[in-house]
Amino acid sequence: MTRTIVIIPAYNEEASLPDVLKELHARVPEHDVVVISDGSTDRTAAVSRAAGVAVVELPYNLGIGGALRTGFQYAVRHDYEFAFQFDADGQHDPDMLEPLLDRLRDGVDMVVGSRFASGGAPTYQVGRVRRLGMKILQWLVDHLTHQRFTDTSSGFRGFSRRMLEFFAQTYPVEYMDSVEALVLACNHGFVVDEIPVNMRGRTGGAPSTRSIKLVYYYVRLVVVLLTSVRRRSHQVMEES
Amino acid sequence: MSTRAHVAVIVLAIPVFVFILRMVRQRKLRAKYSVLWLSVGVALVVLAAAPGLLTWLADRLGVYYVPSLLFVGGIGFLLLLSLHFSWELSRLEDRTRALAEENALLRYEVERLESRDDSPADEV
Repeated sequence: MTRTIVIIPAYNEEASLPDVLKELHARVPEHDVVVISDGSTDRTAAVSRAAGVAVVELPYNLGIGGALRTGFQYAVRHDYEFAFQFDADGQHDPDMLEPLLDRLRDGVDMVVGSRFASGGAPTYQVGRVRRLGMKILQWLVDHLTHQRFTDTSSGFRGFSRRMLEFFAQTYPVEYMDSVEALVLACNHGFVVDEIPVNMRGRTGGAPSTRSIKLVYYYVRLVVVLLTSVRRRSHQVMEES
Repeated sequence: MSTRAHVAVIVLAIPVFVFILRMVRQRKLRAKYSVLWLSVGVALVVLAAAPGLLTWLADRLGVYYVPSLLFVGGIGFLLLLSLHFSWELSRLEDRTRALAEENALLRYEVERLESRDDSPADEV
């Protein structure tokens, strides 16, 4: 039987994690689970241990990209065949892991669970700055990947062994890692695809980034994307 | 430059040079930086001791206002230096990040081995 693992990056998620872990265990017990506590200051690690899953605790906060990269390294070292990225806040549905896994078994290296792949529009309200940013981003990703992705920032993904080994070393650590990872994988010849998934509303809080900061993040992302192709391949060569 | 200003510059440059020298000798600076800063110190003292040098250089380069040569040189040097520091910082950050990841993964292994000693392992 193929070994699969669900990687959950978590930063201070003691409130939502118990239910998420309980649901994973009840619905998809065939998948192992590892929680990467990203320098959490609450009981994230404790509640995860209580749920009986593996817990990797980072000594300080690295951001989601760093936490994920740690998870990929864990998956590689423990010989997992496939891995999933799963949110700690309960917005991902465990029943959607199976369709992701199906695509991985078909030979796809990275499969993205998209909220909009089936033609759905964003159900949440987006401000003008964010909408403009999303448009520019979409255009940029289209041109950099020569592929259409409807939900580039989705954090609900599946990875092949090959992809895991690659990302264990190179996964982007800047803000909006998910978009950069998409471009990176496409540019290195990995097979990337998306499938439609349902997502639940966020259990708590709304995206809270302010406009000026958001503009800064988008500008930074554009720079990162435009330079990522060369930079990353250079880095891979250095490390090998 | 007036003689008084001339003396003042030398008096200021020498302690700076001595300070750099001390830091280098106490190995508070890595070798690559000690060479850099010692060169800066030497340049400062030489320029202070022989202000004619700067005037001559400005003349050769066609710079009319002599101090501006000093400013351009200084600013350019500092710009390159801060660029270098940014690079070095990025590299250090990458390395501490890798260490943090490795630390977390090893800690997990230690915890796993310890719990295996205490009780029969329930994982594969």
